[in-house]
Amino acid sequence: MDELQPLKETITGMVGLAGIHKGLIAVHFPYEVALAITSSFLGMEVDEVNEDVRDAVGEIANMLGGNVKTLLSDRGKDIELSLPSTISGDEYNFSSQEQVDQVILPFKAPAGVFHVELELER
Amino acid sequence: MQLDRFIIDATTEVFASMVFMELVAGDVIREDRADLGTNISSMIGLAGDLKGLLSVHCPRQVALAVSGAMLGMEPEELDDDVKDAMGEIANMVAGGLKASLLEAGSNVELAIPTTVVGNSIRTSGFSGASTIIVPFSVPDGDFAVELNYVLG
Repeated sequence: MDELQPLKETITGMVGLAGIHKGLIAVHFPYEVALAITSSFLGMEVDEVNEDVRDAVGEIANMLGGNVKTLLSDRGKDIELSLPSTISGDEYNFSSQEQVDQVILPFKAPAGVFHVELELER
Repeated sequence: MQLDRFIIDATTEVFASMVFMELVAGDVIREDRADLGTNISSMIGLAGDLKGLLSVHCPRQVALAVSGAMLGMEPEELDDDVKDAMGEIANMVAGGLKASLLEAGSNVELAIPTTVVGNSIRTSGFSGASTIIVPFSVPDGDFAVELNYVLG
């Protein structure tokens, strides 16, 4: 994560995992990637980081969380998701406490690279 | 459920027992507010009968004073010690809220705290959620505890 920090002109969508595993999943989209993905997701052109973009990014985090919980728990029944939320800003650092296992995966989309981060309490 | 009262009680208890700092709660705000003058936000997810996100939003000087009082040191930067301390405060406030909710018959589980540091950062729950923001004053300034939530 250190090479990603600080996140610049980025929007992060995240959702918490609670239950037999505690953690969170976050997706960090540079603004231009977030705009392209939201436009594609909603089927309309979006050219600023507005409420539509925040909702789309939060919903993507929520869907990723839904998938992860079924992978970590039989049919996902022992893990629950918190509410999705977003963080956006010109420049910020995103960090969790110590004592977590963390994996960060880069993905390449036509509009650019974005990162998905999973953190689980040990 | 008096969620605002639960948040005030939990925050007051954490500050009395862990930070050793007096605080005064201000008037509760029930709408999403973009600008809380935040430099550091610690957030933790809640899941179960209430789904939500609890956030502690601080300007820089308040985070330095609060974490310094809690850790018994004088941090000068929003460094890892400050981030850990503020994350732990969010965790403990959420723990207090969880205990009050359980007494009221609602079961919630906590996720893990995360801390974001930056300038003009904006946090947002999803647009269908309800918001409660409780402003607090401490000797070094003001901060806010926010709960975005839906009842399951």
